[in-house]
Amino acid sequence: MKLEDAKILIGDDSILARKQLKDVLTTFGGKTFFEAANGQEAIEKFTAEKPDIIFLDIVMPQKDGISAVSEICKIDPNAYIIIVSSVGTQSQLKSAIEAGAKDFIQKPLNTEQIKSILSVKFEGR
Amino acid sequence: MYTQFFGNFLLSRGVVTSEQLIEAIKEESTTHIKLGTLAIHAGYMTASEADSIVIMQTHEDKRFGELAVQGGYMTEEQVNSLLKMQKPDYLLLGQILIEKGILTNTDFENLIVDYQSEYEIYDLDMATEKKEVVTNMLKNYCNFANHPEADKAIHYLYLLFNNLVRFIGEDFTALNPIPCPEYPTNYCISQQTYNDTLSITSAIDIDPNTAVAFASRYVDEPFEDFDEYVKASLEDFLNLHNGLYNVNLSNDFSLELNLNPPEIHHYDVLSLSSNAYLFPVIYPFGTVNFLFSF
Repeated sequence: MKLEDAKILIGDDSILARKQLKDVLTTFGGKTFFEAANGQEAIEKFTAEKPDIIFLDIVMPQKDGISAVSEICKIDPNAYIIIVSSVGTQSQLKSAIEAGAKDFIQKPLNTEQIKSILSVKFEGR
Repeated sequence: MYTQFFGNFLLSRGVVTSEQLIEAIKEESTTHIKLGTLAIHAGYMTASEADSIVIMQTHEDKRFGELAVQGGYMTEEQVNSLLKMQKPDYLLLGQILIEKGILTNTDFENLIVDYQSEYEIYDLDMATEKKEVVTNMLKNYCNFANHPEADKAIHYLYLLFNNLVRFIGEDFTALNPIPCPEYPTNYCISQQTYNDTLSITSAIDIDPNTAVAFASRYVDEPFEDFDEYVKASLEDFLNLHNGLYNVNLSNDFSLELNLNPPEIHHYDVLSLSSNAYLFPVIYPFGTVNFLFSF
């Protein structure tokens, strides 16, 4: 699959963070985006849209990113979730991976790191 | 100070899988750091020299330090200083990966160099002059000395000024901090980071015009109105700073803190602890008020 054809879900409580990630993904060819402002909304958007890749923040109101990863993976164990967070501590990284996340991006965003993560999942990147 | 946890760095480099990393992290609590690991990190020995000592240990019943001194690789003073130094967590993680055969000593030596050059925040973010001003300000005006967690508070504030230089710019003047148990807010974002023994609340209070200029510098986009993106930029700055602080405490002190989502206060009174200070920071575009309480 190519990123151009992928459904992309971005879950972050910050409208700015969502926009910044969307801008980076757009430069790599991303076209179809869904957004969620907290963990609960991310689960609902996941169920409704079945995105091919999900980017989730950890610290969010209502339901945090790690809980959302667990619930999404219960719905679909093959869900492809990347955590994007400023809190890349040892315990957060461990919890995210144990919950089922595939990778972890530490903010501020590093375009090269995003590119390399996309190349694992998508063709032609 | 680092801007990324070492384990995350290894993962993004593709040198460990997530399963290997988790296994290694789980073993940290039952593993002790070895002198060889410390000697490589301090630059006293190369990876191959440390390997040769380990081989010697297989047929000579002596401690690593003794053999290293005997071989002329280190002095006794150096061995003692290594044993006394604070041991960053990432060294232990590296050692476990070596013992599991996932990394060699040489891989680890090279990775540490890359990690430090890519993710260590050097003091160069702040000019020496400014560093002295900040250090003196914290020493002379913040009465943390008797607090058991004073070093963590100083670390926090030092990182805050460093992040201001890094993300907003160095052209600020920091006024002396003022004790401030209560604060009437303009537009204010606060956030708490905490565990059982430490709780830090920090806040940014700012007027709308200054906020627009602050956000424009932070995001590197020209904002004109005090809109949702500008407000989100303030939250993002505070959240990023607190996140980086938590990464540092995790990496350097093995201390894990929780971070609450940012909260907005608009024209109300923020009640802080008795150890609370207002740090007015004057930029050419306006004054940014930072509040710090622990």
